[in-house]
Amino acid sequence: MSRDPIEPTADERRAGDAVRALEAARPEPAFRARLRQDFVTGRIGERAVVRLSPPWWRRGWAAALAPAAAVVVVLLVAGVNRGPQWTVMAANGDGIAVVDGVPMPMPHAAEEARRLRAGARVQVPPGASLDLAGSGTMMMEIAGGAEVTLPATPGRWFARGVEAHVRSGTVRFSTGARFHGARLHVETPEAGVEVTGTTLAVICEPRGTCVCVYEGVVRVRAHGGSIESVSAGRRRFVYNDGRAPIEDAMLPGERTRLGEIREHRDDWQGGGR
Amino acid sequence: VTETRTHNDAGFVHRGTAHPDAGRTPDPERPTRAELERVRARDPEALGAFYERYVDRVYGLAHRLVGDRAQAEDITQEVFLKVHRAADRLDPERDPLPWLMTIAHNACRDLWRSSAWKLGRRAASLDGDSPLAATLTRRRDEPERDLIAAERERLVQDALLRLPDPLRVAIVMHDYQGLGHEEIAAVTGIGHAAARKRYSRALSALANLLRGRLE
Repeated sequence: MSRDPIEPTADERRAGDAVRALEAARPEPAFRARLRQDFVTGRIGERAVVRLSPPWWRRGWAAALAPAAAVVVVLLVAGVNRGPQWTVMAANGDGIAVVDGVPMPMPHAAEEARRLRAGARVQVPPGASLDLAGSGTMMMEIAGGAEVTLPATPGRWFARGVEAHVRSGTVRFSTGARFHGARLHVETPEAGVEVTGTTLAVICEPRGTCVCVYEGVVRVRAHGGSIESVSAGRRRFVYNDGRAPIEDAMLPGERTRLGEIREHRDDWQGGGR
Repeated sequence: VTETRTHNDAGFVHRGTAHPDAGRTPDPERPTRAELERVRARDPEALGAFYERYVDRVYGLAHRLVGDRAQAEDITQEVFLKVHRAADRLDPERDPLPWLMTIAHNACRDLWRSSAWKLGRRAASLDGDSPLAATLTRRRDEPERDLIAAERERLVQDALLRLPDPLRVAIVMHDYQGLGHEEIAAVTGIGHAAARKRYSRALSALANLLRGRLE
Protein backbone atom coordinates (compact mmCIF):
# COMPACT_ATOMS: atom_id res chain seq x y z
CA MET A 1 0.00 0.00 0.00
CA SER A 2 1.49 3.32 -0.99
CA ARG A 3 2.02 6.03 1.56
CA ASP A 4 0.01 9.24 1.68
CA PRO A 5 1.54 11.45 -0.97
CA ILE A 6 1.51 14.35 1.46
CA GLU A 7 3.19 12.40 4.27
CA PRO A 8 6.80 13.34 3.67
CA THR A 9 9.94 11.48 4.51
CA ALA A 10 12.61 13.14 6.61
CA ASP A 11 14.54 14.21 3.50
CA GLU A 12 11.40 15.57 1.91
CA ARG A 13 10.49 17.43 5.07
CA ARG A 14 13.96 18.93 5.10
CA ALA A 15 13.65 19.94 1.46
CA GLY A 16 10.27 21.60 2.09
CA ASP A 17 11.71 23.41 5.10
CA ALA A 18 14.59 24.65 2.95
CA VAL A 19 12.19 26.12 0.43
CA ARG A 20 10.14 27.75 3.15
CA ALA A 21 13.33 29.20 4.61
CA LEU A 22 14.29 30.90 1.36
CA GLU A 23 14.53 34.62 1.72
CA ALA A 24 11.87 36.73 0.15
CA ALA A 25 13.15 37.88 -3.20
CA ARG A 26 12.34 41.54 -3.53
CA PRO A 27 12.47 43.72 -6.60
CA GLU A 28 15.06 46.42 -7.01
CA PRO A 29 13.76 49.63 -5.40
CA ALA A 30 14.15 51.61 -8.61
CA PHE A 31 12.18 49.06 -10.63
CA ARG A 32 9.59 48.78 -7.90
CA ALA A 33 9.08 52.54 -7.78
CA ARG A 34 8.94 52.96 -11.55
CA LEU A 35 6.44 50.15 -11.99
CA ARG A 36 4.30 51.57 -9.19
CA GLN A 37 4.24 54.94 -10.83
CA ASP A 38 3.31 53.45 -14.18
CA PHE A 39 0.65 51.22 -12.65
CA VAL A 40 -1.00 53.97 -10.65
CA THR A 41 -1.00 56.53 -13.43
CA GLY A 42 -2.03 54.07 -16.14
CA ARG A 43 1.13 54.60 -18.14
CA ILE A 44 1.91 50.91 -17.80
CA GLY A 45 -0.51 50.18 -20.64
CA GLU A 46 0.99 52.84 -22.85
CA ARG A 47 4.46 51.55 -22.20
CA ALA A 48 3.66 47.93 -22.90
CA VAL A 49 1.63 48.51 -26.01
CA VAL A 50 3.90 49.47 -28.83
CA ARG A 51 1.89 51.79 -31.00
CA LEU A 52 3.23 51.38 -34.46
CA SER A 53 2.25 54.07 -36.85
CA PRO A 54 -0.19 52.63 -39.36
CA PRO A 55 1.18 51.70 -42.75
CA TRP A 56 1.11 54.59 -45.17
CA TRP A 57 -1.83 53.20 -47.11
CA ARG A 58 -3.98 53.24 -43.97
CA ARG A 59 -3.28 56.82 -43.01
CA GLY A 60 -6.07 59.27 -43.55
CA TRP A 61 -4.47 61.35 -46.22
CA ALA A 62 -3.34 58.27 -48.11
CA ALA A 63 -6.79 56.71 -47.95
CA ALA A 64 -8.32 59.89 -49.31
CA LEU A 65 -5.78 60.25 -52.08
CA ALA A 66 -5.56 56.58 -52.99
CA PRO A 67 -8.49 56.55 -55.46
CA ALA A 68 -7.21 59.68 -57.20
CA ALA A 69 -3.70 58.27 -57.28
CA ALA A 70 -5.02 55.02 -58.70
CA VAL A 71 -6.86 56.92 -61.43
CA VAL A 72 -3.71 58.89 -62.23
CA VAL A 73 -1.66 55.69 -62.41
CA VAL A 74 -4.24 54.02 -64.65
CA LEU A 75 -4.32 57.04 -66.93
CA LEU A 76 -0.53 57.21 -67.02
CA VAL A 77 -0.19 53.53 -67.82
CA ALA A 78 -2.92 53.73 -70.45
CA GLY A 79 -1.27 56.80 -71.95
CA VAL A 80 2.17 55.23 -72.06
CA ASN A 81 0.77 51.96 -73.38
CA ARG A 82 -1.15 53.64 -76.18
CA GLY A 83 0.22 52.87 -79.62
CA PRO A 84 1.39 55.62 -81.96
CA GLN A 85 -1.13 57.77 -83.75
CA TRP A 86 -1.68 57.53 -87.45
CA THR A 87 0.31 59.99 -89.51
CA VAL A 88 -0.22 60.84 -93.14
CA MET A 89 2.80 59.68 -95.13
CA ALA A 90 1.33 60.57 -98.49
CA ALA A 91 -1.95 61.87 -99.89
CA ASN A 92 -1.98 61.39 -103.61
CA GLY A 93 -4.56 62.75 -106.01
CA ASP A 94 -7.27 65.31 -105.74
CA GLY A 95 -10.81 65.06 -104.62
CA ILE A 96 -12.36 65.04 -101.23
CA ALA A 97 -12.03 62.26 -98.76
CA VAL A 98 -14.64 61.81 -96.08
CA VAL A 99 -13.64 61.14 -92.49
CA ASP A 100 -16.51 60.29 -90.15
CA GLY A 101 -18.84 62.06 -92.53
CA VAL A 102 -16.73 65.21 -92.61
CA PRO A 103 -15.20 66.24 -95.96
CA MET A 104 -11.42 66.36 -96.05
CA PRO A 105 -9.78 67.71 -99.22
CA MET A 106 -6.98 65.33 -100.18
CA PRO A 107 -4.34 68.08 -100.50
CA HIS A 108 -5.01 69.01 -96.87
CA ALA A 109 -4.99 65.48 -95.53
CA ALA A 110 -1.73 66.04 -93.67
CA GLU A 111 -3.18 69.04 -91.83
CA GLU A 112 -6.32 67.08 -91.00
CA ALA A 113 -4.39 64.08 -89.72
CA ARG A 114 -5.75 64.58 -86.19
CA ARG A 115 -9.12 63.34 -87.48
CA LEU A 116 -7.53 60.11 -88.69
CA ARG A 117 -7.74 58.43 -85.35
CA ALA A 118 -8.51 54.82 -84.50
CA GLY A 119 -12.12 54.03 -85.29
CA ALA A 120 -12.48 56.82 -87.83
CA ARG A 121 -14.41 55.84 -90.94
CA VAL A 122 -12.46 56.98 -93.99
CA GLN A 123 -13.59 57.12 -97.61
CA VAL A 124 -10.90 57.96 -100.16
CA PRO A 125 -12.11 59.41 -103.47
CA PRO A 126 -11.54 57.43 -106.69
CA GLY A 127 -8.19 58.09 -108.29
CA ALA A 128 -6.56 59.14 -105.04
CA SER A 129 -4.74 57.23 -102.32
CA LEU A 130 -3.92 57.86 -98.70
CA ASP A 131 -0.85 56.37 -97.02
CA LEU A 132 -0.95 56.23 -93.20
CA ALA A 133 1.81 55.07 -90.86
CA GLY A 134 1.77 54.21 -87.18
CA SER A 135 5.35 54.75 -86.13
CA GLY A 136 7.13 51.43 -86.54
CA THR A 137 4.05 49.32 -85.98
CA MET A 138 2.23 49.20 -89.31
CA MET A 139 1.24 51.17 -92.37
CA MET A 140 -1.88 51.29 -94.49
CA GLU A 141 -2.33 52.34 -98.04
CA ILE A 142 -5.96 53.18 -98.71
CA ALA A 143 -6.51 53.13 -102.41
CA GLY A 144 -9.01 55.34 -104.20
CA GLY A 145 -12.61 54.26 -103.83
CA ALA A 146 -11.92 52.35 -100.61
CA GLU A 147 -13.90 52.76 -97.44
CA VAL A 148 -12.28 51.63 -94.20
CA THR A 149 -12.61 52.01 -90.48
CA LEU A 150 -9.13 52.71 -89.15
CA PRO A 151 -7.67 50.29 -86.59
CA ALA A 152 -5.81 51.43 -83.55
CA THR A 153 -2.11 50.81 -83.60
CA PRO A 154 -1.08 48.06 -81.12
CA GLY A 155 -0.37 49.12 -77.56
CA ARG A 156 3.09 48.76 -76.05
CA TRP A 157 2.27 46.12 -73.43
CA PHE A 158 -1.43 45.29 -73.68
CA ALA A 159 -4.37 45.88 -76.02
CA ARG A 160 -2.14 44.41 -78.71
CA GLY A 161 -5.04 43.15 -80.80
CA VAL A 162 -6.47 45.73 -83.23
CA GLU A 163 -9.25 45.59 -85.78
CA ALA A 164 -9.97 47.28 -89.10
CA HIS A 165 -13.09 47.14 -91.26
CA VAL A 166 -12.75 47.29 -95.04
CA ARG A 167 -16.14 47.85 -96.61
CA SER A 168 -15.06 48.44 -100.18
CA GLY A 169 -11.99 49.02 -102.31
CA THR A 170 -8.37 48.05 -101.78
CA VAL A 171 -6.44 48.52 -98.58
CA ARG A 172 -2.86 47.35 -98.26
CA PHE A 173 -1.25 46.61 -94.92
CA SER A 174 2.34 46.09 -93.95
CA THR A 175 3.54 45.48 -90.43
CA GLY A 176 6.77 46.80 -88.92
CA ALA A 177 9.21 45.77 -86.24
CA ARG A 178 7.11 47.17 -83.39
CA PHE A 179 4.15 45.08 -84.47
CA HIS A 180 5.92 41.97 -83.17
CA GLY A 181 3.57 39.90 -81.04
CA ALA A 182 0.51 41.96 -81.96
CA ARG A 183 -2.49 40.87 -84.02
CA LEU A 184 -4.48 42.69 -86.70
CA HIS A 185 -7.92 41.53 -87.64
CA VAL A 186 -9.37 42.86 -90.86
CA GLU A 187 -13.05 42.39 -91.31
CA THR A 188 -14.70 42.58 -94.74
CA PRO A 189 -18.30 41.92 -95.76
CA GLU A 190 -17.34 38.39 -96.78
CA ALA A 191 -14.36 37.36 -94.65
CA GLY A 192 -12.20 37.86 -91.60
CA VAL A 193 -8.46 38.12 -92.01
CA GLU A 194 -6.01 37.44 -89.21
CA VAL A 195 -2.61 39.05 -89.54
CA THR A 196 0.31 38.47 -87.18
CA GLY A 197 3.07 40.11 -89.17
CA THR A 198 3.13 40.34 -92.92
CA THR A 199 2.47 42.46 -95.98
CA LEU A 200 -0.81 41.96 -97.71
CA ALA A 201 -3.61 43.56 -99.61
CA VAL A 202 -7.27 43.25 -98.83
CA ILE A 203 -9.38 43.97 -101.87
CA CYS A 204 -13.09 44.23 -101.57
CA GLU A 205 -14.67 43.73 -104.99
CA PRO A 206 -18.31 43.57 -105.96
CA ARG A 207 -18.12 39.75 -106.12
CA GLY A 208 -16.26 39.22 -102.88
CA THR A 209 -13.01 39.74 -100.99
CA CYS A 210 -9.56 39.01 -102.35
CA VAL A 211 -6.65 38.67 -99.95
CA CYS A 212 -3.21 38.86 -101.57
CA VAL A 213 -0.26 37.88 -99.37
CA TYR A 214 3.16 39.25 -100.27
CA GLU A 215 5.07 37.82 -97.32
CA GLY A 216 4.38 35.75 -94.24
CA VAL A 217 1.19 33.82 -93.65
CA VAL A 218 -2.34 35.17 -93.26
CA ARG A 219 -5.34 33.30 -91.97
CA VAL A 220 -8.55 33.90 -93.84
CA ARG A 221 -11.96 32.76 -92.72
CA ALA A 222 -14.96 33.09 -94.95
CA HIS A 223 -18.03 34.07 -92.95
CA GLY A 224 -19.67 30.81 -92.07
CA GLY A 225 -16.69 28.86 -93.36
CA SER A 226 -13.47 27.42 -92.07
CA ILE A 227 -10.17 29.16 -91.46
CA GLU A 228 -7.55 28.73 -94.13
CA SER A 229 -3.93 29.84 -94.18
CA VAL A 230 -2.72 31.79 -97.15
CA SER A 231 1.02 31.83 -97.64
CA ALA A 232 3.33 34.32 -99.36
CA GLY A 233 2.76 34.78 -103.11
CA ARG A 234 -0.80 33.43 -102.93
CA ARG A 235 -4.24 34.95 -102.87
CA ARG A 236 -7.56 33.74 -101.64
CA PHE A 237 -10.85 34.93 -102.99
CA VAL A 238 -13.95 34.62 -100.86
CA TYR A 239 -17.14 35.00 -102.91
CA ASN A 240 -20.22 36.68 -101.61
CA ASP A 241 -22.62 34.54 -103.60
CA GLY A 242 -22.07 31.30 -101.75
CA ARG A 243 -19.49 29.80 -104.02
CA ALA A 244 -16.54 28.11 -102.39
CA PRO A 245 -13.44 30.28 -101.91
CA ILE A 246 -10.65 29.81 -104.38
CA GLU A 247 -6.90 30.10 -103.92
CA ASP A 248 -4.47 31.04 -106.62
CA ALA A 249 -1.23 32.91 -107.28
CA MET A 250 -1.45 36.52 -106.13
CA LEU A 251 -2.37 39.20 -108.60
CA PRO A 252 0.67 40.54 -110.50
CA GLY A 253 -0.31 44.13 -109.90
CA GLU A 254 -0.51 43.54 -106.18
CA ARG A 255 2.83 41.80 -106.19
CA THR A 256 4.37 44.93 -107.68
CA ARG A 257 2.65 47.39 -105.41
CA LEU A 258 3.11 45.39 -102.21
CA GLY A 259 6.76 44.89 -103.17
CA GLU A 260 7.18 48.67 -103.39
CA ILE A 261 5.59 49.13 -100.00
CA ARG A 262 7.86 46.47 -98.56
CA GLU A 263 10.94 48.05 -100.08
CA HIS A 264 10.09 51.43 -98.65
CA ARG A 265 9.38 50.12 -95.20
CA ASP A 266 12.17 52.23 -93.73
CA ASP A 267 10.38 55.33 -94.96
CA TRP A 268 7.49 54.82 -92.64
CA GLN A 269 9.02 52.72 -89.85
CA GLY A 270 10.57 55.80 -88.37
CA GLY A 271 7.47 57.91 -88.94
CA GLY A 272 6.59 59.95 -85.90
CA ARG A 273 3.44 60.10 -83.92
CA VAL B 1 -18.79 20.77 -1.08
CA THR B 2 -18.34 24.42 -1.77
CA GLU B 3 -18.19 26.18 -5.08
CA THR B 4 -14.96 27.70 -6.17
CA ARG B 5 -13.73 29.34 -9.31
CA THR B 6 -10.57 29.04 -11.25
CA HIS B 7 -8.96 32.00 -12.88
CA ASN B 8 -7.39 33.09 -16.04
CA ASP B 9 -5.56 36.24 -17.04
CA ALA B 10 -8.78 38.13 -17.61
CA GLY B 11 -10.31 37.41 -14.24
CA PHE B 12 -12.58 34.80 -12.74
CA VAL B 13 -14.13 32.72 -15.42
CA HIS B 14 -14.49 29.08 -14.50
CA ARG B 15 -16.75 27.63 -11.89
CA GLY B 16 -16.08 24.27 -10.36
CA THR B 17 -16.42 22.31 -7.15
CA ALA B 18 -13.81 21.96 -4.46
CA HIS B 19 -13.26 19.83 -1.43
CA PRO B 20 -14.47 21.68 1.66
CA ASP B 21 -11.21 21.35 3.55
CA ALA B 22 -9.11 22.34 0.57
CA GLY B 23 -7.39 25.67 0.25
CA ARG B 24 -6.16 27.79 3.04
CA THR B 25 -7.53 30.19 5.53
CA PRO B 26 -8.58 33.52 4.10
CA ASP B 27 -5.83 36.11 3.97
CA PRO B 28 -6.56 38.57 6.80
CA GLU B 29 -4.70 41.24 4.87
CA ARG B 30 -6.68 40.84 1.68
CA PRO B 31 -8.28 44.05 0.40
CA THR B 32 -11.79 44.82 1.47
CA ARG B 33 -14.64 44.85 -0.95
CA ALA B 34 -14.65 48.64 -0.90
CA GLU B 35 -10.96 48.75 -1.74
CA LEU B 36 -11.42 46.35 -4.62
CA GLU B 37 -14.32 48.40 -5.91
CA ARG B 38 -11.99 51.38 -6.06
CA VAL B 39 -9.40 49.27 -7.85
CA ARG B 40 -12.08 48.37 -10.36
CA ALA B 41 -12.63 52.07 -10.90
CA ARG B 42 -8.85 52.50 -11.30
CA ASP B 43 -8.71 54.94 -8.45
CA PRO B 44 -5.00 55.88 -8.23
CA GLU B 45 -4.85 55.62 -4.46
CA ALA B 46 -6.47 52.20 -4.46
CA LEU B 47 -4.21 51.06 -7.26
CA GLY B 48 -1.22 52.17 -5.25
CA ALA B 49 -2.35 50.25 -2.18
CA PHE B 50 -3.13 47.21 -4.30
CA TYR B 51 0.33 47.38 -5.84
CA GLU B 52 2.06 47.69 -2.49
CA ARG B 53 0.13 44.75 -1.15
CA TYR B 54 1.00 42.33 -3.95
CA VAL B 55 4.06 43.42 -5.86
CA ASP B 56 6.55 41.61 -3.63
CA ARG B 57 4.58 38.37 -3.76
CA VAL B 58 4.28 38.51 -7.51
CA TYR B 59 7.92 39.34 -7.95
CA GLY B 60 8.98 36.73 -5.41
CA LEU B 61 7.03 34.00 -7.18
CA ALA B 62 8.41 34.99 -10.56
CA HIS B 63 11.95 35.20 -9.22
CA ARG B 64 11.83 31.78 -7.62
CA LEU B 65 10.26 30.22 -10.69
CA VAL B 66 12.60 31.68 -13.31
CA GLY B 67 15.71 32.38 -11.20
CA ASP B 68 16.59 35.58 -13.01
CA ARG B 69 16.05 39.15 -11.84
CA ALA B 70 15.47 40.74 -15.24
CA GLN B 71 13.01 38.07 -16.30
CA ALA B 72 11.23 38.28 -12.97
CA GLU B 73 10.88 42.03 -13.46
CA ASP B 74 9.45 41.48 -16.94
CA ILE B 75 6.92 39.02 -15.55
CA THR B 76 5.98 41.33 -12.71
CA GLN B 77 5.44 44.15 -15.14
CA GLU B 78 3.31 41.93 -17.35
CA VAL B 79 1.17 40.87 -14.39
CA PHE B 80 0.42 44.45 -13.36
CA LEU B 81 -0.18 45.46 -16.94
CA LYS B 82 -2.86 42.78 -17.21
CA VAL B 83 -4.30 43.75 -13.85
CA HIS B 84 -4.60 47.33 -15.01
CA ARG B 85 -6.25 46.33 -18.26
CA ALA B 86 -8.70 43.94 -16.60
CA ALA B 87 -9.29 45.94 -13.42
CA ASP B 88 -12.91 46.63 -14.31
CA ARG B 89 -13.53 42.87 -14.42
CA LEU B 90 -12.09 42.25 -10.97
CA ASP B 91 -14.49 40.41 -8.65
CA PRO B 92 -14.57 42.46 -5.43
CA GLU B 93 -16.07 39.52 -3.59
CA ARG B 94 -13.01 37.38 -3.98
CA ASP B 95 -9.41 37.36 -2.91
CA PRO B 96 -7.41 38.66 -5.88
CA LEU B 97 -4.25 36.78 -4.93
CA PRO B 98 -5.07 33.57 -6.84
CA TRP B 99 -5.85 35.66 -9.89
CA LEU B 100 -2.48 37.37 -9.65
CA MET B 101 -0.75 34.03 -9.16
CA THR B 102 -2.53 32.69 -12.23
CA ILE B 103 -1.35 35.56 -14.36
CA ALA B 104 2.18 35.22 -13.06
CA HIS B 105 2.16 31.47 -13.61
CA ASN B 106 0.92 31.88 -17.17
CA ALA B 107 3.59 34.47 -17.86
CA CYS B 108 6.27 32.11 -16.52
CA ARG B 109 4.88 29.29 -18.63
CA ASP B 110 5.03 31.47 -21.73
CA LEU B 111 8.62 32.25 -20.90
CA TRP B 112 9.50 28.59 -20.43
CA ARG B 113 8.06 27.80 -23.81
CA SER B 114 10.18 30.44 -25.49
CA SER B 115 13.34 29.57 -27.32
CA ALA B 116 15.16 32.33 -25.40
CA TRP B 117 14.47 30.54 -22.13
CA LYS B 118 15.57 27.17 -23.45
CA LEU B 119 18.76 28.68 -24.77
CA GLY B 120 19.39 30.41 -21.45
CA ARG B 121 18.83 27.17 -19.57
CA ARG B 122 21.46 25.42 -21.65
CA ALA B 123 23.91 28.23 -21.03
CA ALA B 124 23.15 28.22 -17.30
CA SER B 125 23.74 24.48 -17.08
CA LEU B 126 27.16 25.03 -18.62
CA ASP B 127 27.94 27.85 -16.19
CA GLY B 128 26.74 25.77 -13.26
CA ASP B 129 26.03 28.80 -11.10
CA SER B 130 22.77 30.48 -10.27
CA PRO B 131 22.77 34.25 -10.17
CA LEU B 132 19.81 34.35 -7.81
CA ALA B 133 21.65 34.29 -4.49
CA ALA B 134 23.69 37.30 -5.47
CA THR B 135 20.55 39.33 -5.95
CA LEU B 136 19.03 38.67 -2.54
CA THR B 137 19.31 41.16 0.24
CA ARG B 138 21.71 40.12 3.01
CA ARG B 139 22.20 41.11 6.54
CA ARG B 140 25.51 42.89 6.91
CA ASP B 141 26.22 42.28 10.58
CA GLU B 142 26.92 38.56 10.44
CA PRO B 143 29.12 37.90 7.42
CA GLU B 144 29.88 34.24 8.21
CA ARG B 145 26.26 33.42 8.76
CA ASP B 146 25.37 35.36 5.66
CA LEU B 147 27.84 33.32 3.68
CA ILE B 148 26.37 30.04 4.89
CA ALA B 149 22.85 31.24 4.24
CA ALA B 150 23.78 32.44 0.79
CA GLU B 151 25.34 29.11 -0.05
CA ARG B 152 22.29 27.28 1.23
CA GLU B 153 20.10 29.65 -0.76
CA ARG B 154 22.11 28.94 -3.89
CA LEU B 155 21.88 25.17 -3.41
CA VAL B 156 18.14 25.24 -2.92
CA GLN B 157 17.52 27.60 -5.80
CA ASP B 158 19.74 25.56 -8.10
CA ALA B 159 17.86 22.44 -7.14
CA LEU B 160 14.53 24.17 -7.76
CA LEU B 161 15.64 25.25 -11.22
CA ARG B 162 16.64 21.68 -12.01
CA LEU B 163 13.13 20.44 -11.35
CA PRO B 164 10.72 20.11 -14.24
CA ASP B 165 8.66 23.30 -14.55
CA PRO B 166 5.35 21.86 -13.22
CA LEU B 167 7.08 20.38 -10.18
CA ARG B 168 8.90 23.65 -9.48
CA VAL B 169 5.59 25.51 -9.67
CA ALA B 170 4.00 23.08 -7.25
CA ILE B 171 6.66 23.34 -4.59
CA VAL B 172 7.32 27.09 -4.90
CA MET B 173 3.63 27.92 -4.72
CA HIS B 174 3.03 25.61 -1.80
CA ASP B 175 6.13 26.05 0.34
CA TYR B 176 7.41 29.46 -0.69
CA GLN B 177 4.14 31.28 -1.41
CA GLY B 178 2.04 29.36 1.06
CA LEU B 179 -0.80 28.54 -1.28
CA GLY B 180 -3.05 25.58 -0.57
CA HIS B 181 -3.36 22.66 -2.95
CA GLU B 182 -6.81 23.77 -3.95
CA GLU B 183 -5.53 27.19 -4.90
CA ILE B 184 -2.58 25.71 -6.74
CA ALA B 185 -4.96 23.43 -8.60
CA ALA B 186 -7.02 26.46 -9.62
CA VAL B 187 -3.98 28.48 -10.65
CA THR B 188 -2.41 25.71 -12.70
CA GLY B 189 -5.66 24.39 -14.13
CA ILE B 190 -5.44 20.85 -12.79
CA GLY B 191 -7.52 18.90 -10.32
CA HIS B 192 -7.09 19.04 -6.57
CA ALA B 193 -5.86 15.45 -6.27
CA ALA B 194 -3.45 15.96 -9.15
CA ALA B 195 -2.07 19.06 -7.46
CA ARG B 196 -1.43 17.11 -4.25
CA LYS B 197 0.31 14.33 -6.14
CA ARG B 198 2.34 16.75 -8.14
CA TYR B 199 3.49 18.46 -4.96
CA SER B 200 4.43 15.10 -3.47
CA ARG B 201 6.49 14.24 -6.53
CA ALA B 202 8.11 17.67 -6.46
CA LEU B 203 9.06 17.29 -2.83
CA SER B 204 10.53 13.87 -3.49
CA ALA B 205 12.52 15.10 -6.49
CA LEU B 206 13.82 18.11 -4.59
CA ALA B 207 14.82 15.93 -1.65
CA ASN B 208 16.81 13.71 -3.97
CA LEU B 209 18.60 16.74 -5.42
CA LEU B 210 19.40 18.16 -2.00
CA ARG B 211 20.18 14.93 -0.19
CA GLY B 212 23.42 15.27 1.77
CA ARG B 213 23.96 18.87 0.67
CA LEU B 214 22.09 20.81 3.31
CA GLU B 215 24.04 19.62 6.37
